[in-house]
Formats: sequence, structure tokens, C-alpha cells
Amino acid sequence: MKELEGLDIRYSHLPDAAHLRDWLKDPVVQTWFPVSEEKEIEDAVQCWIGFSRYASSLTATVEGEPCGMGTLFLMPYRKVAHHCLFKVVVDPKFQRQGIGNSLLKNLKHLAKNYFHLELMHIEVFDANPFIHLLQQHGFQEFARQERFVKDKGKYSSRILYECYL
Amino acid sequence: MPSKSPLTIRLTHADDALPLSQWLSKSDILRWFPMYDVREIEDAVRIWISYSRLHAGLTAEWEGVPCGLANLYIQPFKKLAHTCLFSIIVKEDMRGKGIGKALIDELAKVAKEKFHIEILHLEVYEGNPAKKLYERLGFKEFGFQPKFIKEGDHYIGKIFMEKYL
Repeated sequence: MKELEGLDIRYSHLPDAAHLRDWLKDPVVQTWFPVSEEKEIEDAVQCWIGFSRYASSLTATVEGEPCGMGTLFLMPYRKVAHHCLFKVVVDPKFQRQGIGNSLLKNLKHLAKNYFHLELMHIEVFDANPFIHLLQQHGFQEFARQERFVKDKGKYSSRILYECYL
Repeated sequence: MPSKSPLTIRLTHADDALPLSQWLSKSDILRWFPMYDVREIEDAVRIWISYSRLHAGLTAEWEGVPCGLANLYIQPFKKLAHTCLFSIIVKEDMRGKGIGKALIDELAKVAKEKFHIEILHLEVYEGNPAKKLYERLGFKEFGFQPKFIKEGDHYIGKIFMEKYL
């Protein structure tokens, strides 16, 4: 895929929280995340953006405007500090333009070369289009829990993927 | 007249943090948890005990003395509120008295009746003898992460299990 013109990846800053909040409020984006209410979004944003203090969060920009974020949720305990959970979100206006791919590539680089992580993992809901990208980047499924999500009475699964760096 | 059982189960309260910290400080118990040192144990105990405010924790007592704890990590997200991760610990010298089974049975009852939880799930490290108890109680595996724990050059896998209530 040709990279979007003007696309840049930088470390996330605390003010990026405003963009993250807007993206997570989008009903289509919410399909792929556990959040659905104002307070849940706020709590998720605070937790997520908090990792910018450790330089483990990246923001994608197009012509300087934030359009996506990828974050390594570093583990707080020593015995599990060799891996981490990560999350990626892309502004719905900029999806399917290679931003998720670029964030994922840069996150893997950051995880391996800066934090010396051995593996990274992610939890996605069934049918999330991001799964295709994960597979392209060498992620393998290691757990699948049916009925993990219950949205408006309808159940869907969560799938856990990991990648050795 | 039937003799009164020495085992009773009550809601967890803040004072249970002390015995919980003491049990976790034993190396034979700590090996089945992700924490490594006192600071990490204190952090995990603080999070565990914080759920007592929601009345989501249970404490087993043997002749009035705490001998085990189990806790529901109530989901903060509405879409996932029908599922719940739980943790359990039984004091080392009180094993083999049915305390673990009694705690899980009671926890499942609280989960279903009070919190309307449909799926209870847990994480257990490979080699942990408690896995047999979980199997006997109807928990089924839904995932395995082979390199979850790292101790020196040695890795231990994490098994994911769940039970429909």
C-alpha cells in the first residue's frame, strides 16, 4: 500500500487526548472497543494517554493533524515486563489509508529496539478489519473467547493475538 | 446435633489486605502470580482489596481466622459486564480442606445473583496444581500464551479458562 502523503509518526503528547476522545466517541470505532458510554471513554482515554509519559505511545499525523494512535501498555511487574499489550486506533476519516499499518510497524520497532520487549499482544473483537493487518505482520492467535462482548443483546468473541519480536 | 463447620465465608474487607500480603510473600505462592517483590505485591493487594468496596470479594475463615480470599474483578465496561475475571488464594498450610472449592462455589453464586455475570474466567500458569480444581469445577480452556512469565531464562505459559454460569 502506498503511504499517505504528509503522514508522519511522532511520540504522543498529553494534548492528543482530545483527538483520542473524539475517535472513541465515533459509533463505528466503538464497535471495535469496549467503550460505549461517556465515563468509559474518559477512563479509557486517561489510561491510554498516560503511557505518553513513558514514551510508549505514538501518534500518526497527516500534515501535522493527528489521525491515529498506537500505544504500548507497558507491564508494571518484572516477571511480565518482557511483553506488553498494545492498542491502535485510527480516525474514521483516515481509515484504509495505511495509517494502521504504519503505526503497527513503528510500534513493533519501538517495542523491540527501545523497550527491548520480546513479544507484544493485542485483544480484538471478532470481525475487526484490523485482524487482517495483524496477520500480515506475523501475529498469531493464542486465545479466543466466545460471547465476551455483549452489545445490545448480541454476543461476539474476543481474539488474542501475539507476535514475537 | 450436627457439628458446626469451622469454615465460614464472608465479604472481604480492607483489613484482609494484611493476611493477603503475608500469603503472597511466600515464594511457593508468589510463583503462581505475576508479582515479583514487595512493591509489586503491595500494588496487587491494593487493587484486589479495592473491589471490597463493591462487595465483590470473599474471605474464607477457618475457626474465625482468614485462610483464603477470592475476588471478582468487576468489568468497568457495560459491553463486557456479563463477564468477569477472578482470582483466588488459599493460605499455604490450609490447603486440602476444601477451602478453594467453597470459595469458588460461593463466588460464582455472588457473580451470578448479585452482578448478573454469565461467564467467569481465570488465568492460571502452567504447572499450577490449582488447574485440576478449576477443571473439576467445570472450567474449560480457551487459550494459552506460552511465554507469559519470564524468570531468568525460563518461561512459563499462561492458560485461560472460563465457565458459563
